[in-house]
Amino acid sequence: MNRKAVAMTVAALGFVVSPAFAYEGGAVSDGGTISGTVKFQGAPPARKELEVTKDKEVCGKTQKMSRDLVVSSGGGLQYAVVSITNIQKGKADNGAVVVLDQNGCEYQPHIIVVPVGKPFEIKNSDGINHNIHAFGKANTEWNKATPGFFTKQNKTLQMTFDKPEYVRVGCDVHSWMTGWFVVKDNPYYEVTDENGSYKMTDVPPGEYEVKVWHEKLGEKTTKVTVAAKGEAKADFELAPK
Amino acid sequence: MARRSVDIDDEKRSYSAIFLVSVGLLLFGAVWSIWDDNISRRPWKYYQAIFEEREQTKIADDIKQADAKLQADPAYQQATKDLTAARERLQNGETAKRLAALQDELANITVTFNDADLKLRIVKSRLEEAWYVYETAELEHRPAEDAKKHIDALNEEKTGLQKRFDDGKSRIEQINKELTEVRSEVKGLEEKLRTLSADRERLAQKLDGLTLKAGPFALPMIPKIRQVVLEDFERNNFDKPVARVDRCQSCHIGIDKAGFEDAPNPYKTHPKRQLIFGKHPSEKFGCTPCHLGQGPAVNSIEQAHGVVHHWDQPLLQGDKVQASCIKCHANVSRLEGAERIAQGEKLFEDLGCHGCHLVDGYEDLARVAPFLRRISAKVEPSWLVRWVKNPHEFRPRTPMPNFLFKEEDAMAVAAYLLSATKQEGDAWLETRPLPAGIDPNNATLVSQGKDLVDSIGCRGCHGFATDESPALIGTSKDIAPNLSKIAEKTDGRWLYYWLKGPRDYSPEARMPSLRLSDAEAKAVTSFLLTLGKKDTNQELLAKLQDPALADRGKVLVRKYGCFGCHNVTGMETESRVGAELNTFGGKTLEELFFGNRTDIVPSWDNWTFNKIKTPRTYATERIEQAMPQFDLADDDIKALRVFLASRTDLKYPPKYRPADQLKAQREVAGRRLVARYNCVGCHVVDGKGGAIRARYEDQMALAPPILNGEGAKVQANFLYGFVKEPVPIRPWLKLRMPTFGLSDKEATTIVDYFGALDNIETPFVHVIDAQIPAENVEAAKKLSSSDYFGCFSCHQQGDRKPEGPPDGWAPDLTMARDRLKPDWIITWLHDPQKLQPGTKMPSFFPGGPDDILGGDDEKQIRALRDWILTLGKPQKMQVGQAGG
Repeated sequence: MNRKAVAMTVAALGFVVSPAFAYEGGAVSDGGTISGTVKFQGAPPARKELEVTKDKEVCGKTQKMSRDLVVSSGGGLQYAVVSITNIQKGKADNGAVVVLDQNGCEYQPHIIVVPVGKPFEIKNSDGINHNIHAFGKANTEWNKATPGFFTKQNKTLQMTFDKPEYVRVGCDVHSWMTGWFVVKDNPYYEVTDENGSYKMTDVPPGEYEVKVWHEKLGEKTTKVTVAAKGEAKADFELAPK
Repeated sequence: MARRSVDIDDEKRSYSAIFLVSVGLLLFGAVWSIWDDNISRRPWKYYQAIFEEREQTKIADDIKQADAKLQADPAYQQATKDLTAARERLQNGETAKRLAALQDELANITVTFNDADLKLRIVKSRLEEAWYVYETAELEHRPAEDAKKHIDALNEEKTGLQKRFDDGKSRIEQINKELTEVRSEVKGLEEKLRTLSADRERLAQKLDGLTLKAGPFALPMIPKIRQVVLEDFERNNFDKPVARVDRCQSCHIGIDKAGFEDAPNPYKTHPKRQLIFGKHPSEKFGCTPCHLGQGPAVNSIEQAHGVVHHWDQPLLQGDKVQASCIKCHANVSRLEGAERIAQGEKLFEDLGCHGCHLVDGYEDLARVAPFLRRISAKVEPSWLVRWVKNPHEFRPRTPMPNFLFKEEDAMAVAAYLLSATKQEGDAWLETRPLPAGIDPNNATLVSQGKDLVDSIGCRGCHGFATDESPALIGTSKDIAPNLSKIAEKTDGRWLYYWLKGPRDYSPEARMPSLRLSDAEAKAVTSFLLTLGKKDTNQELLAKLQDPALADRGKVLVRKYGCFGCHNVTGMETESRVGAELNTFGGKTLEELFFGNRTDIVPSWDNWTFNKIKTPRTYATERIEQAMPQFDLADDDIKALRVFLASRTDLKYPPKYRPADQLKAQREVAGRRLVARYNCVGCHVVDGKGGAIRARYEDQMALAPPILNGEGAKVQANFLYGFVKEPVPIRPWLKLRMPTFGLSDKEATTIVDYFGALDNIETPFVHVIDAQIPAENVEAAKKLSSSDYFGCFSCHQQGDRKPEGPPDGWAPDLTMARDRLKPDWIITWLHDPQKLQPGTKMPSFFPGGPDDILGGDDEKQIRALRDWILTLGKPQKMQVGQAGG
């Protein structure tokens, strides 16, 4: 990949703060799985179409549907994040650099899970100006431009979050663009698919607190016990607030 | 001849007992006088001795610590080891041999060199002589050949000697160089060790300085009076400047020495040592300018602290010492360490104490309470009676005090106010009919009104629920009325016209105009009318018509001084009803009347606290007191008390005061205005305020702009115009910068204030177009284009608007030239979030494109700034072209 990363080390974001209970990653030999579905309680709402008010020649190519509440016909909730909250030791991070793409004036993906303290990349495939405004609370709020020339010159922006948090992100140029950074402090974070399903693998045997989070519907927690090489289940149902 | 009789017995009598007693007495007297002189009468000597001991112990401890640190320091250890090794090498081994050889050679060569030097000098003198002989012979026409030969011989000798001399000299230089080289390692290491142990050496020297050296003995220092003489600090009875002597540090010897923070008094370090002595060196200011007390007294704690009869400046301790800050610092609100006096001063101003009490420097402050000359057009009369009787019942946090009126007195006051203002009130109402379209029962209208109230900024000042209080005076009083029961007080007609233009009803209104359209004003009025409901007492209304009642009310209004805070019809020539407080802080116990309160320990502090807490507490059967009840929080009372303590006739000479009084005055004037119009309800100014921002936590960009650094940001002329007549700058804001109807003077004060806060010396900006480099403009045009930054995808450019709805637009860049300071644009472009956290403007830098201006971020930022300045360049106007 002949991509020239922009050296954009921001002092406030550049340093790595280890969370209070540092997670230790390594090989997991007798790991089990946790899987399940997240359901929306009640009749599935219709997705709203987003109005493209600007840069229509780029952004208007595809129809934009809201992604803040996506429910399948079977009631499965997409874009929910299931995670283990109390794990101190388990599988290692896969090491891949997470890339967020601003493509067709949408965030790809909608939920971007990034490891705490590790740099990730932000790309702009649209050739027009996007800014990326991350409304962190525990993390410092930041707002960076990824102008159109990033596309032509193959530039990316490198950023880092230093605290685990669900961070809303938006573009002030294109107000319909919204997404979420999920800053994880362990590798057990899964985003539900279009059917609301998720699966965590290589979970060491033990008793865990498993949490689901959704941008509109809030959070829920449950206890799950995983046996060695066992298959544990954790289904959730979230109700509209 | 009679024989003189000799008394043999007398001569034989022994006086030793008497001598013994006398000697004993003398000795006792001597011992006693030394004791008394040094101990009983000089307690400070004892303190100094104790302190000296503490200091020595402390320094010795510090030295131990420093030693331990050096022991633990590997660099020091290494250097010590290296030094020993290097010294060792100079003593033994190859280096030592070389050193000895060099030293030997130097000794030898020096002998020959000195010999050559001496002989050379002799030859030179002899040459002089030979030349004289030769020249004389020539002149006298005598044969000179011999003389000439002699010269030649001497010259030859000289050449030989010169060579020996030169050789010797260069060899000596060479040897010295080599010696230095051999010794350099040791020298360098010694130097390094000196640097590493500098701290320790300093401590050792300090410890050395603490004792008196007498041969082999180290005696304790002789205690001495430590005094500061403040030249020309005071004025005597003839108004001539005299010096003040301040001897506090004779006992408080460690006050300006770090390291005694935990020691007991009088040995303790000042708790704010760096803050206070950093600006007021203890050797120049001493202690009494702030703490008062009796500076020259040292013989007892009571005398020194001035807590003795007839000394009118007793020691100020704790928070109360801040009363002294304001004597020299005109603006205590920005003074670190003066928080309490600043709080007290602000309470004094904001509660309107100056309305009744004359205090120099505060006498011209504006009235704090509403304009009552048209009150008959505003309020429901039964409400007015209830309000006058006890305002705290209707609004517990109102700053209006409770006058504890009896029912009939409250009626009388209301009757007077209503009758005296009827004419003006009716005249006002006559031209302002109730408009159609106000309806508290119309849910749509009410919800529109509520949306407006929630979005345009009303909640920066007003609370709309009983417990909602966005802006407070002190900790317990609302700045603006709580509107949760507003419909009980007034009606839709008054509210509508008030909302449309508060200055239309009251020329003194602090409430600004939100530039509501008629429809908006009707919606807001409809909403407000749903808050509370009228409670009219018809019987009461009839009674209020009684002119005799109104006459009695007039007497009460005059007696209780309502006009101190309100503009009241018929009271134009009245003067303040309260006591003048210019010297209140210096009042002695004899001047304070405690009435029947025998339960209070008599002190200025206690008297003042209880007076503010329950103002009529000292009233007796014969002595009436009129001050009303404010129901302030205890903390606010204590702060006010600090401010009152500062009201004394002590004046400090200019040379002891800060130089920049003008800046402080500009800050004070601005701060007062900012408080009066509660700018800080919405904006953060000078790091304070902006409570409304809490409502925009998720979208800070929708909150009112932060005004920290506004003086460095905007041009004075722009700001002046903007505060007088705001124009929309940020199209995405639903909040409206209100129109306050500021006078020219007020607008100038605001501009001056922001300038002073940012230390702006030149308020003017002039852009010289000819000096803007064309290449910068060209580069910036490229940078701003949609190929690069795409500035105009959000920013407006005059009539050219960006795509999409206006709430996605950013400020008009053509305004920048007349609005912004050129330097500020550069700071902004570096990191917008730093200046306005949450702003929609992203940072483009670092990270500018590589193919413009060599990829240099700084150059790109400058270019953008230059270009932005050209955008608002005025078009050439043809005189007489327009109009016709």
